Amino acid sequence: MHMSRTLALIGCLMLAPLSPPTWAEPAPLSDREKAAHALSRLGFGAQPGEVEAVMAEGVDAWIARQLDPASIDDSQVDAQVLQRFPSMGMTMTEVFATYRPPYPRDRRETPEESRRRNELRNQVRRELQSAVLHRALYSQRRFEEVILEFWRNHFSVDQSKDDVGFLANHYEQTLRRHAFGDFDDLLLATARHPAMLIFLDNAVSQKPLTEREQRLVERYEGRENRPRSFEALARHRGLNENYARELMELHTLGVDNGYTQRDVTELSRVLTGWSVGWTGAGEDEYGNRQHGEYGFVFRADVHDDRAKRVLGATLRGGAGEAEGVAVIRRLARDRRTAEFISWKLCRYLVHDDPPQTLVKRVARVFRTSRGDLPKVYAAIVTSPEFFDRANVGVKFKTPFEYVVSALRATDAQVEDDQAVLWSLRRMGQPVYQCFDPTGYYDQAEAWLDPGVLVYRWQFALALAGGRLEGVKLPEAWITSLPVGDDLADELVRQLVAAPVDPAATALLEEQIGQAFNRRVAVGVVLGSPMFQQQ
Amino acid sequence: MDRWTRREFLKTSGLVIGGAGAGLVDLRTLYGQTAEADQLPPTLVVLYLRGGADVLNAIIPATESLYYTYRPTIAIPREQVLPVTNRFGFHPAMRELHELYQAGRLAAIINAGSTHPTRSHFDAQDFMERAAPGIKTVTEGWLNRYLTATRTDEDRDLRSVSLQPTLPRSLRGDYPVLAVPDGGAEQAMSVFETLYGCNGEKEAIAELRGGDHAAERIKATLEARGEHELSPAEAARQQIVDAGAASIAKLRKLNALLHNEDHPVLGDYPSTHLGRQFRSIARLIKSNEGLEIAALDYGGWDHHAYQGGAQGVMTNMLMNLSKSMRAFHDDLGPRMNRTVVLVMSEFGRTARENGNNGTDHGRGGFMLALGGPVVGGKVYGKWRGLSRKALYEGRDMPVHTDFRDVFAETLSAMYGFRSDRNGFFPEYRANDRALGMMNPIAQA
Repeated sequence: MHMSRTLALIGCLMLAPLSPPTWAEPAPLSDREKAAHALSRLGFGAQPGEVEAVMAEGVDAWIARQLDPASIDDSQVDAQVLQRFPSMGMTMTEVFATYRPPYPRDRRETPEESRRRNELRNQVRRELQSAVLHRALYSQRRFEEVILEFWRNHFSVDQSKDDVGFLANHYEQTLRRHAFGDFDDLLLATARHPAMLIFLDNAVSQKPLTEREQRLVERYEGRENRPRSFEALARHRGLNENYARELMELHTLGVDNGYTQRDVTELSRVLTGWSVGWTGAGEDEYGNRQHGEYGFVFRADVHDDRAKRVLGATLRGGAGEAEGVAVIRRLARDRRTAEFISWKLCRYLVHDDPPQTLVKRVARVFRTSRGDLPKVYAAIVTSPEFFDRANVGVKFKTPFEYVVSALRATDAQVEDDQAVLWSLRRMGQPVYQCFDPTGYYDQAEAWLDPGVLVYRWQFALALAGGRLEGVKLPEAWITSLPVGDDLADELVRQLVAAPVDPAATALLEEQIGQAFNRRVAVGVVLGSPMFQQQ
Repeated sequence: MDRWTRREFLKTSGLVIGGAGAGLVDLRTLYGQTAEADQLPPTLVVLYLRGGADVLNAIIPATESLYYTYRPTIAIPREQVLPVTNRFGFHPAMRELHELYQAGRLAAIINAGSTHPTRSHFDAQDFMERAAPGIKTVTEGWLNRYLTATRTDEDRDLRSVSLQPTLPRSLRGDYPVLAVPDGGAEQAMSVFETLYGCNGEKEAIAELRGGDHAAERIKATLEARGEHELSPAEAARQQIVDAGAASIAKLRKLNALLHNEDHPVLGDYPSTHLGRQFRSIARLIKSNEGLEIAALDYGGWDHHAYQGGAQGVMTNMLMNLSKSMRAFHDDLGPRMNRTVVLVMSEFGRTARENGNNGTDHGRGGFMLALGGPVVGGKVYGKWRGLSRKALYEGRDMPVHTDFRDVFAETLSAMYGFRSDRNGFFPEYRANDRALGMMNPIAQA
């Protein structure tokens, strides 16, 4: 951007050498702009009065506080979440006990029991979606929610796959516990979490047959008389590479960043035995285990104990679970991981195509701090680049960012979030249901398709018009809005927070001037191009 | 039987035009086939099976004993396979596709795929949909690049659509392609059309007010400020405005067409999402708005576990695919002569089943081509058996046919498009008759 401006300037001087240059260095952000930008990027948008509050506190002080979420009292929201969505405070064992009733032992389920089973399964999934939305809307720890959304997509799991629907609630708590810790602990926590192990199939990956065993299987395949050793082998399950691949491609090194198919296979051998299951008492023939503990299980019997070679290092084998832990910690500390994660965070928080100098600086902090995440975040959000005008207002909100910021800007009261969650689905971003292990993208390119804006407009008008079921805008606020020529200015001031250029406001004024009432005007601002930016 | 006659179409589609009624129905009208329709470009429908669809349980080498050795729990019993050549047969769930194959309307390509060996969904889809294996600098989809390369001032609004909220990667790029939300959008669009600089019906009114369109206003603002280009935030906003304006203009038209009941539905579509999407595309074709490129996704082919054999998860999906494509074929009748459905997936899977009655990411996969121009009733592609040596790295189905061979031939046969020019497929020497699987359509 700067380069092209410079070229334009040069061109201008060459054509008209006598006239003074018509281009000037853009002014630094005003305090108000800084506060609005910080709230927008680091807080899913401002609530009414919040920009002023942050200005009063000082933007830097607010950011410093947000970087240390433990210092912010959020007990009220915590209590609300636990009370409304009890599964969010449960262990996985408790979730199964509560939301997955045991099958009857001696008969088929009645239709009523089936219905109840489905209802509970849907409920546990809904609770997670609602809890994510609720915290994004109301938590005092604004930046924690923003960064959680990043990790949710970086370590994406889809609650619609198999048992992940019962496990993702605890997975979300796990991400939250580690989001302000060290990256290797976060990575390891996801690697050991049943939601991830099931989503990416590692839970069912087992050591491959040796060549000798393979030959044995092939020899006796299809024969009538087969030795018992064959039967044991034939039941044997095999290697599944899905997780090992994504662990390097998506979670650490980045795609094609110095690993081979051989590394993928070898790493998946390292991770054989990293599985899920029940320990302790109470397993019956129907698979109902009411008294044991559900969680990560290392299955030594299916772990491949032979030597391996991963990313140039030889592993002698025999270390069992510890071997995988060591490899994962090594991946977490890899220089390429530092670069990849730093670049992705900068893309999320600063610009779709983040400045290289910033990425390098952040990667250095990542390496020298050994992945101390708050330090990494701080290196980004306290950088001069973060507040550079070239990076302000240039990101297109994802559907989640859009919906949350619209609800916050209008101080909407969400009594029932079903319609909101449905809107997110229509916009292409259902919570915790990204089909692809890549997670949802945060760049404009991924979302700015012709057609999708229509869903945002419908949402904006429904929300403002009081037609979004279960959601209300404060009536007192609506009636407090001025009518006439001042309405547009006032709405832009209140909802968009940051001052915008006159051309856009003029167009908005014209549009609002045609609106029949204040609610439509609110919808127009929420659906306007400027409200899609952050 | 080389080409179906219209009578045979009607017979196979189950449409009975009995006795007295028969004389009253103009068949051409039935299919929306006006004189103008023959002047419209042919339609290419690209269906992407996301997840890496398994070739060996779809186009089955039932005569190879190794197939049964490799897949003890998920192989399709030989007697259930629907034979198509002396070596291959279709999965029993593909009954309708089998009929189309035998009628010469459908071709299969085996061991097709990417020259790049990635087994990552993300990369493989990316490489394939951009038709640039291993080349990460190409960021636009191949269908979008085709649309851009052949763009004229007369392009119709509905030249290309995707009947889903977000575009598949093959259609992402500079050329504005419509991703279609569901109905009920008109009210929202009328509120926002001015704000998003839509110059449609409101153009005349805006002219009366002094021609203050968004673009002109921006220009005026810049002049007043003495600057030459938009600030980064303004440029970002302009992108959003442009996307909104394009949405409105196209959606208006599209909504009307999708609800147009002028032409009867002549195919027996399954009541699935895929079936509905195919039905909508048929309706758009019949409305003669010049639909040229349509793309749809069918997800869920990543069968790492419990893939199933003659019955199971993949069976249901193949059945849905088969019934939907057959219905589409019947619905369009003679218009299939200028329509091609191309089915593909990012890669095939391992030859052996894994420990979970599934298969893992592999390389060579299959493609299907349906339509009048297709030289059907054939299985294309090299076959070297299933021995360890014939497989890629001893485990995956190999790639003998570059998917770009198929893309190049399709664009050439359907549109006379020379993809060998201007590096359309980077680092690839285009051979538009590599397979000989498509007859050229006479260009209007």
